[in-house]
Amino acid sequence: MTAFPLVARPAEAVLFHRPHGAVTAAGFLAAASRLAARLPAPPHAGGDDAAPVINLCADRYLFALGFAACLLRGRVSLLTGDRSPSRLAGLAARFPGMIALADGPMPMPMPMPMPVVAVADGPPGPAAVARDRAAAVPAIPADRLAAIVFTSGSTGEPVGHRKAWGALVARSVDAARRFRLGPAAPAAVVGTVPPQHMYGFETTVLLPLHAAAASWCGPAFYPVDVAAALAAVPGPRVLVTTPLQLRALLGAAIAPAPIARVISATAPLDPAMAQAAERRWGTEVWEIFGATEVGSIASRRATAGPEWRSYPRVRLAPLPPGPGEPDAASGIAAPGGLVSVRAPYAAPFPLNDRLDLQDPTRFRLLGRNGDVVKLGGRRASLAGLTRILTGIDGVEDGIFVVPDDLETRPTARLLAFAVAPGLPAEAILAELRTRIDPLFLPRRVVRLDRLPRDPLGKLPARALAELRAGDVDGDAA
Amino acid sequence: MSTGSVTSEPEVARLIVESLNLEMAPEEIVADAPLFGDGLGLDSIDALELALAISRRYGLELRSDDARNRQVFASLRSLAAYIDENRPR
Repeated sequence: MTAFPLVARPAEAVLFHRPHGAVTAAGFLAAASRLAARLPAPPHAGGDDAAPVINLCADRYLFALGFAACLLRGRVSLLTGDRSPSRLAGLAARFPGMIALADGPMPMPMPMPMPVVAVADGPPGPAAVARDRAAAVPAIPADRLAAIVFTSGSTGEPVGHRKAWGALVARSVDAARRFRLGPAAPAAVVGTVPPQHMYGFETTVLLPLHAAAASWCGPAFYPVDVAAALAAVPGPRVLVTTPLQLRALLGAAIAPAPIARVISATAPLDPAMAQAAERRWGTEVWEIFGATEVGSIASRRATAGPEWRSYPRVRLAPLPPGPGEPDAASGIAAPGGLVSVRAPYAAPFPLNDRLDLQDPTRFRLLGRNGDVVKLGGRRASLAGLTRILTGIDGVEDGIFVVPDDLETRPTARLLAFAVAPGLPAEAILAELRTRIDPLFLPRRVVRLDRLPRDPLGKLPARALAELRAGDVDGDAA
Repeated sequence: MSTGSVTSEPEVARLIVESLNLEMAPEEIVADAPLFGDGLGLDSIDALELALAISRRYGLELRSDDARNRQVFASLRSLAAYIDENRPR
């Protein structure tokens, strides 16, 4: 059976830059095994996803330590970007025996009693011990379930995507080849994306374990944070970010330390903004294409046209149209362009995006599957959101509507329309707030006497467009 | 850039409504209600947008290692007070 080491870097190589100092491979491994010893043993029965460990650490380094400790202890890590009480309660109910790793106060009163292991900075172990441990880096079987990463599924219920250790390692190795990360000049990665998000997990937690990169583990959210982080790490620097944060950094009139490469993902990057960043900072701006189900699978230079090239060992194949597609009666044309992704150590997976394939390694993006809406790197199902809306007591009918410019205008959010005699729009909004991710809360709930449904009960495209354009009279909140 | 000596709550309320394109009047923002979560219901993308607008208007850069960050964004009142104390003049 193939196995990959937990860390494939020299003992002295820097893996993480923390605000108060660098952590080497040897130091990381020693700290991870100390934490692993504090984790309860995995259950003997119940399948490979039994009693997982939900990693809630906010500090990127402590998150990485928790993930590594789970691998060493034979436990599976559970990642979720959504920490709403309803999400945590749902996960706790689905995974009996789940325990949590946290590096601070829990994000909120936990919905269910759950053992919490505190992750903190221990005293540095003796150097000799660290060297001994590094000499025998544990190997993890490639098919071992390492993580389950959650996104919202089509019903609004969270869906877990299983990540085998081999698939995660293979993708790090492929990314290192694509972005030419070599030991001659190890890169410092400053990531602005949380480690619980698949994109952040791959680029800022997994990459340093197997590629010549060291990840910044201090604050990196506001433009000044990012500038301070870039100044704190040695070059060559790679900024891993999102279109919204790149826009904020460009708008802040801050001159950052030299950036060798900018990598953006989660939404399409405006080519004009990419050009501005390249000119102003003398850098190269690249985009990564990926999805939580399959991770990062392709890249392109953001200023070089719309075509994507898949990672070295990733191949795409067209899928025949299936029965699960949106029907024409709903007003949404049945889309073509569905593809399946093949990658090392991962089961073939159908993508949620529609692609125009030139060959198995080159494609253009046609659009999202009709039901999927994406915001701030998170994804939700419109049908799922609508079901939550209509599930509120007093709401007789309702629908969530997506503005056309949702992914390009930073202040754009969803709209909701509801038929709810006797229920004020504020009350509907307050109820939604307890049930859905804040990013997907409608900026407006408009109450209508009835929705413009056709005789078949469908909402025709034209009626949806009118709702979207605000061309409807109603009471708003 | 504003040149007034006091950063007023109505002025910051206008900035919030305009920069986030909220469908409400500035005076509808309750001065001591939470901006995030239960009150105005802003999210993390809004935080970034608002920080950008504050930087442009007042030349003040917000940072997240500031232990007071949570407190700064707690309400319109606390945000206006923070801007007033810290903006370069």
